[in-house]
Amino acid sequence: MRIVIADDAVILREGLAQLLAVRGHEVVAGVGDAAALREAVAAHRPDVAVIDVRMPPTHTDEGLRAAIDLRRDHPGVGILLFSQYVETRFAADLLAGSSAGVGYLLKERVADLDDFVDALRRVAAGGTALDPEVVTELLGSRRQGVDALTPREREVLALMAEGRANAAIAKTLVVSDRAVEKHIANIFTKLGLAPSGDGHRRVLAVLRYLRS
Amino acid sequence: MERLSAGVASRPVAAARAAFGRRAAAELLYAVASLPLAVLGFGYAAATLVLGLGLAVTAAGIPLLAVGLLGARWFGGLYRRLAGRLLGERVRPPAPHRPGSGFYGRVQAVLGDAAGRRAMAYLLLRLPLALLHLYVVLFTWGWGVVALTYPLQRAFGLNDVTTRDERGVLRHGFVIGGLHLDTWPRALLVSVAGAALLFLAPRAVHAVVLLDRMLIRRLLGGSSAAERIRTLEETRARAVDDAAATLRRIERDLHDGAQARLVALTMQLTLLRETAPEGPVRDLAATAQATAREAVAELRELVRGIHPPVLDSGLDPALASLTARAGLPVELRADIPVRPTAAIESIAYFCAAELLTNVIKHSGAARAEIEVVQREDRLRLRVRDDGSGGAVVGAGSGLPGLAERIRPVDGLLEVDSPAGGPTVITVDLPSHA
Repeated sequence: MRIVIADDAVILREGLAQLLAVRGHEVVAGVGDAAALREAVAAHRPDVAVIDVRMPPTHTDEGLRAAIDLRRDHPGVGILLFSQYVETRFAADLLAGSSAGVGYLLKERVADLDDFVDALRRVAAGGTALDPEVVTELLGSRRQGVDALTPREREVLALMAEGRANAAIAKTLVVSDRAVEKHIANIFTKLGLAPSGDGHRRVLAVLRYLRS
Repeated sequence: MERLSAGVASRPVAAARAAFGRRAAAELLYAVASLPLAVLGFGYAAATLVLGLGLAVTAAGIPLLAVGLLGARWFGGLYRRLAGRLLGERVRPPAPHRPGSGFYGRVQAVLGDAAGRRAMAYLLLRLPLALLHLYVVLFTWGWGVVALTYPLQRAFGLNDVTTRDERGVLRHGFVIGGLHLDTWPRALLVSVAGAALLFLAPRAVHAVVLLDRMLIRRLLGGSSAAERIRTLEETRARAVDDAAATLRRIERDLHDGAQARLVALTMQLTLLRETAPEGPVRDLAATAQATAREAVAELRELVRGIHPPVLDSGLDPALASLTARAGLPVELRADIPVRPTAAIESIAYFCAAELLTNVIKHSGAARAEIEVVQREDRLRLRVRDDGSGGAVVGAGSGLPGLAERIRPVDGLLEVDSPAGGPTVITVDLPSHA
C-alpha cells in the first residue's frame, strides 16, 4: 500500500513509517498539519491516509475536519483517523454519510502490527476499521436491543462493528465460518435488521443500527 | 502617695506634649505644606474636567476625561504619601487599576474606576479645605504670636499703629472693638489673649486636619465593601479561569510529551518484535510492550479526569462522548448557542460526569437524560433518571463534592428526588466564571 501520514509529532510519524516499511508498505509522504496533508493527498493519491486528530494550529480536531474534507474530495482514498483518544462524537462525524473506507483507531493499536495492517487494508479496500473502545461505547449506548443477544452474539456483533470480515471473526473466536454466519443471521433477526448481502454491507447495516 | 502625685503631675505634661509636641508640629507643617499641592491638584482636576466635558461632544472628550481620572489617581497617591509621612495616616491604597483591552476597553475601564472618580472629588474638595487650613493657621498661630509678643513690640516700638480716637487724640497701639490697647495693663491683656490663642492653635489645626483625614480615608483609601466584593469576584473568576487554563496546558503537555513518547515506545517495541529473532528478546519486547500499553491507557484515563481533550471542541461533543461511555442509554439534548468560558464548560462537564456516575452507582435506573441549555448568561444542566430516587446531598452521593465544584462560580444545585423516583438534578451555572 501507498500511505500518507499526517501527525505533528515527528517521532510518531517516523516510528509508524519504519513499522510499515517492515511490512513492505511505502509511506509516500509524512506531513505535520492539515494543509500539508491536503496537498500530499492530492499529489500522491495514496491508498490510505493515516491522520492524527490533533494537529496545529489549534490542536483540537483539525485532523478530523481534514479527514471529512478528504472523503468528499478524494472518495477513493481510505482515511484512518489515528489518535491518543477515541471520542464517539468524532467517530460519528467521520462515519456520517457513508462508512466506506474510513477507520478510527487508538495510536497504541500499532502494538499488534498484524491487526493494524489488516485495519489499514480494510480501509484501503473501502471497508471500515473501528477501535474496540468506540465499538464498546456504541454497544453500551444501545443496551436495549443488544441485551437480547447472547454473549457470543454480542462478541460477533462487536467484531463486525470493528469492521472485520467473517473469516477474521471466525479466527478470533476460534469457531467455524458457518457458526459465524449463523450468529450473524440471529443478530440481524433479534435487532430487526433487514438481511443484506455481502460482508461489508452487513457491517454498514450494523453500524447504522448502532449509531441510530 | 508619691506614685499618686507623680500621676497627677504627668497628666498635664502629657496633655501639653500632645498639644505642642511632635504631632502638633507635624499637623502644622502638613496644613501649610499641602497648600501648593492643593492648588496644583485643583487646577489639574478643574482643567481636565472642564476640557473633558467641554469636548465631550467630540471624540477627544471622553478619552481626555479618562486620562484625567488616571492622573487624579496619581495625585491621590501623592496626598496619601504626604499624609502617611507627616500625619502617620496609613490608608490602604485602592486596588491597582486594571486596564481594559483595546482603546475603548481601556477608556471604559478608567471611567468605571471608582477609585479614580473618588480621587478626582478629593482634588476638587481639597482646595477649599486647604484655604480653611491656611485661615485657621494664620488666625491661631499667626495672631497668637503677634498678640503674645505685643508688650515686647510696644517696648521696642515695633508694629506701632497710630490712630486718632474719637476725641481727636493720637493713640499708639492696636485697636480692637474701639478699645485702644495703648497702656501696659492693656498690652499685657493682649499678651494673655495671645497665649490663649496659641494654646488653642494646635487644637484648631488638629480639628481641620482631622477633617482632611476623614476625607482621605473616604476618598483616597481602599475600596468600600461593595467594591471589595466586586474585586474579589473578579479575582475569583480569574482564578477559576486560570485553573482551567492550567489543567488544559497540563493535558496538552502530556499529550505532546509523555503520552506521545509512550506511544512511540510502543511502536519501537513493535519494531523490535518484528525484527528480533524468535527467542527471549522478542518475548521480553512483548512484555515491555504490554507494560507500555498499560501506561498509555492509565495516562489516558488520568488525563480524562483532568481535562478531557474533546472538551476543547465544545461541551456538546464532550458530553456526547461522556454519555457514550456511560454504560447505559443516555439521551443527550444540548442547546448551546454561545459557548461558555472554558472553566464553565469544564465544571459543567465534570458535574455531568459525577451525576451520571451517581445514576449508575445508586439509582438503578435503566436510562437517563442529560439536558444542557444555555440562555443569556446562564447555563443549565439537568440530569434526569428513571431510578429509585431518594438522592440527598451527603451520604456518599457525590453531591457535596459537586456542590463544592460549583461554589466558586456561584452555581446553584437543585435536587428533586422523591423516594421511588424519578430523580431530577439541576445545576445552574453562569456562562462566565
